[in-house]
Amino acid sequence: MSEDHHSPEYYRTRFKKLITYVGVLLVVGTIGTFAADLNGVFPKHAHAIIFAMTVAVIKATAVVAIFMHLWWDASVKTISITFACTFVFLVGLMWLTVGSEVDSNKPGGTDNTWKHGAHAPAPKK
Amino acid sequence: MIIPHFEKPREDTGLYNGKAGIWIFLASEVMLFGGVFSAYVLLRVGADDGTWSMGLMNKWVGAFNTLILIASSATIVLAWVCLKLKDIAGYRKWQWITIVFATMFLVVKWSYEWPAKFTHYDVKFTSDAAAKRAMGDALGGTFDETAVKQIWQGRFDPGTNTWDRVELKDKPLDGHIVAYIDSEDKRHKVDATMGFSFWSHAFAWRFDRKNLVKNPDGSVKTNTEGNVLYKGIELNADESLKRDENGNVVYQEGAIPYHDTFRDRDIQAIVLHPAGNWHTKQKEASSGTLKFAEEKGHTGTDGGHGHHHEVIIQRQEISRLSSYEPAHSTFFATYYTLTGLHALHVLGGILVMLYHLLPISRRVYEANPEQFTNRIEIAGLFWHFVDLVWIFLFPILYLL
Repeated sequence: MSEDHHSPEYYRTRFKKLITYVGVLLVVGTIGTFAADLNGVFPKHAHAIIFAMTVAVIKATAVVAIFMHLWWDASVKTISITFACTFVFLVGLMWLTVGSEVDSNKPGGTDNTWKHGAHAPAPKK
Repeated sequence: MIIPHFEKPREDTGLYNGKAGIWIFLASEVMLFGGVFSAYVLLRVGADDGTWSMGLMNKWVGAFNTLILIASSATIVLAWVCLKLKDIAGYRKWQWITIVFATMFLVVKWSYEWPAKFTHYDVKFTSDAAAKRAMGDALGGTFDETAVKQIWQGRFDPGTNTWDRVELKDKPLDGHIVAYIDSEDKRHKVDATMGFSFWSHAFAWRFDRKNLVKNPDGSVKTNTEGNVLYKGIELNADESLKRDENGNVVYQEGAIPYHDTFRDRDIQAIVLHPAGNWHTKQKEASSGTLKFAEEKGHTGTDGGHGHHHEVIIQRQEISRLSSYEPAHSTFFATYYTLTGLHALHVLGGILVMLYHLLPISRRVYEANPEQFTNRIEIAGLFWHFVDLVWIFLFPILYLL
């Protein structure tokens, strides 16, 4: 809650400026991603994914840090530990699902990548 | 009884109760959306070639809604800052602006973006010949593989070439159904997509030949009455359709009743108005190989400019007909799940923000300004999370 120690003057001047900067960053990031896609800046799809997700992460970081005050609240263990646990748990679950797809084609093994309908039971005659 | 720590931080958590609560709630929300995001990724990497139609998204609408949501995220912080500065009038102003932005987001999504999809149809064909004929008509009279290929590449994974892996008959022709023709060759107009009668038109057309019962030679099985038979349908001993007291077809227990527009109405053919990408290809072709087709009198419905050609497709030529509804494909099912879940959060946020503008909230502010300021901070944290989700949804669903 360190923002409570800020004076009204801080909110009137510096914090409002910060809001403007973040707002501009978000708008520029959105337009940049959109324009890059529209003009086909990245011929390789993988590069387009990396670019778009990097911009999205930067935008999200700005929102979390400034708009959600985490820049000042990160030292509060209730928040940081809660989200550290959430992150670990989420990554673990994603690894169990998405990660298993990536790991499906082992050397010497068979490709067991799940496909729509491929493993559906044969229709009854 | 007064609950402590609703305005001052607790010693153990370092937060006032409401703020500790919202962060724990947001952690659960991260898990919820994380789950559906990973489901999306899993479904996408496992999707068959030519089934992930994300190229159909309207990127301009998606970008517009992103900018609106970003603006609302900034304005709700400004509302909170005004309360910190004891400026209640400023707070009300920014809170109303936030609500207007949030409402605009929902209006664009629920009154334009989704309805436009519910009345936009994909037609797949029973044979390559039927597909060639219909696509040729859509392009002004002559089938042009280069043009069709460009349209195809535009609607599926931009980084992969799936053209050769999917048969032409399974490559859809998309557009709006403007009329149908009955067995007496009478033409019936279907109302405009965005007119007042829209809801009677949305979801109305559905047909999938895979639900038909086939003979061993692959032909469609009909009963003694000449009706085509559907999987899961109840038959009488003489193979006639079993019907209930209202005359509706009866399905076996556990079977999903199948809606077939052709069966329900007496329809022999549909009249399709191809979507804009087909018109664009017509225009491109007007100086090239298709020029002669226009000169040969394929004038369409716009008075002879060679665009907006109608395409008549016989029911026997159609293997699947579906609007861009959730049942259309796995892509649209996940699209509506993700954006619908997000839109419900937006709606919830609007209700909370409206509550904070009611007289009862004004009385809370007058009794304890700090408590009210904390409430707005909590509502703001939720709203920023809603914005965060969209920051990732926009590129994933619309661009990549």
